[in-house]
Amino acid sequence: MATSAVSFGALVTLEELVPSSSQFTQGASLRVTGKLQEYDIETAIASIVEGNASLKIDTQHLKVNLRIGSLYQFIGELLIDPSNQAILRARVGRNVDGMDLNLYHQSLQLLRDFQAEQMNSTTS
Amino acid sequence: MDALYNTHVKLLAFDFLKLTPSPTDPSSFFRRGKRLSRAETVGIVVTRDLKPGKFVKFTIDDGSGCISCVLWLNQLNSSYFSRRNPSDVRLIAQAATDFASDLQLGVLARVRGRITDYRGALQISVSDVVVERDPNMQILHWLDCMRSLVMLLARILDSDCSASCARICGVER
Repeated sequence: MATSAVSFGALVTLEELVPSSSQFTQGASLRVTGKLQEYDIETAIASIVEGNASLKIDTQHLKVNLRIGSLYQFIGELLIDPSNQAILRARVGRNVDGMDLNLYHQSLQLLRDFQAEQMNSTTS
Repeated sequence: MDALYNTHVKLLAFDFLKLTPSPTDPSSFFRRGKRLSRAETVGIVVTRDLKPGKFVKFTIDDGSGCISCVLWLNQLNSSYFSRRNPSDVRLIAQAATDFASDLQLGVLARVRGRITDYRGALQISVSDVVVERDPNMQILHWLDCMRSLVMLLARILDSDCSASCARICGVER
């Protein structure tokens, strides 16, 4: 199977990104979505929220206009410090205001189920 | 006749990367027994390498994988186009240049083109690009891809997989 040199950002919700999750791995490439709650212009660290969960995003390598209250999607690598605090070092980011979040979550789960079914059918 | 052969088939990246090249025809690829030559993907541009006047190589991440793409920018110097009407070639070259400028990191892009195999790695040789402003277009692409694969499976004698996939997607068979 052909692979690309860059890892794809695995789709994950912020509420799923807990220390006990398999996605909560040092260096994991993830795609996350959330509303921008805070942004520190000096450190370029943003904080996004989704439901009751939040995640810090290192945006220093991005050229994206960040506006508090808008919805953003970031792809990058997860960095976990010794105290188990995670931050996503983003490679790309985009404003996704207007995204239907209910549809997004339902489709995300559908996609996972579909891929799992495809994997099962090829291995069985 | 292969109905999908000249169609830009919407494919999820993880599906695209499973295509198998035809041993006899370098422009043909197989997906569950169906012969394809063209594909369409929708995802975020995550890498971009521009060589002005030659090509722009970029990667589309659609959430299920990454697809390598190449958009050729050498039409005005290429022997492949030298036999064509020069004004047509200039139009093609201008369109390619415009597409290249649209392909910026982080944008959501719909990319169509021929499936090619470059040194053992599958990629899309791009024919056209549309930057999608509506963020829901990524979701729609996922759903379109899943639905089209369910329809395809329904025609293949793999009843267990097609039935369960149809159930997951809520598609009537």
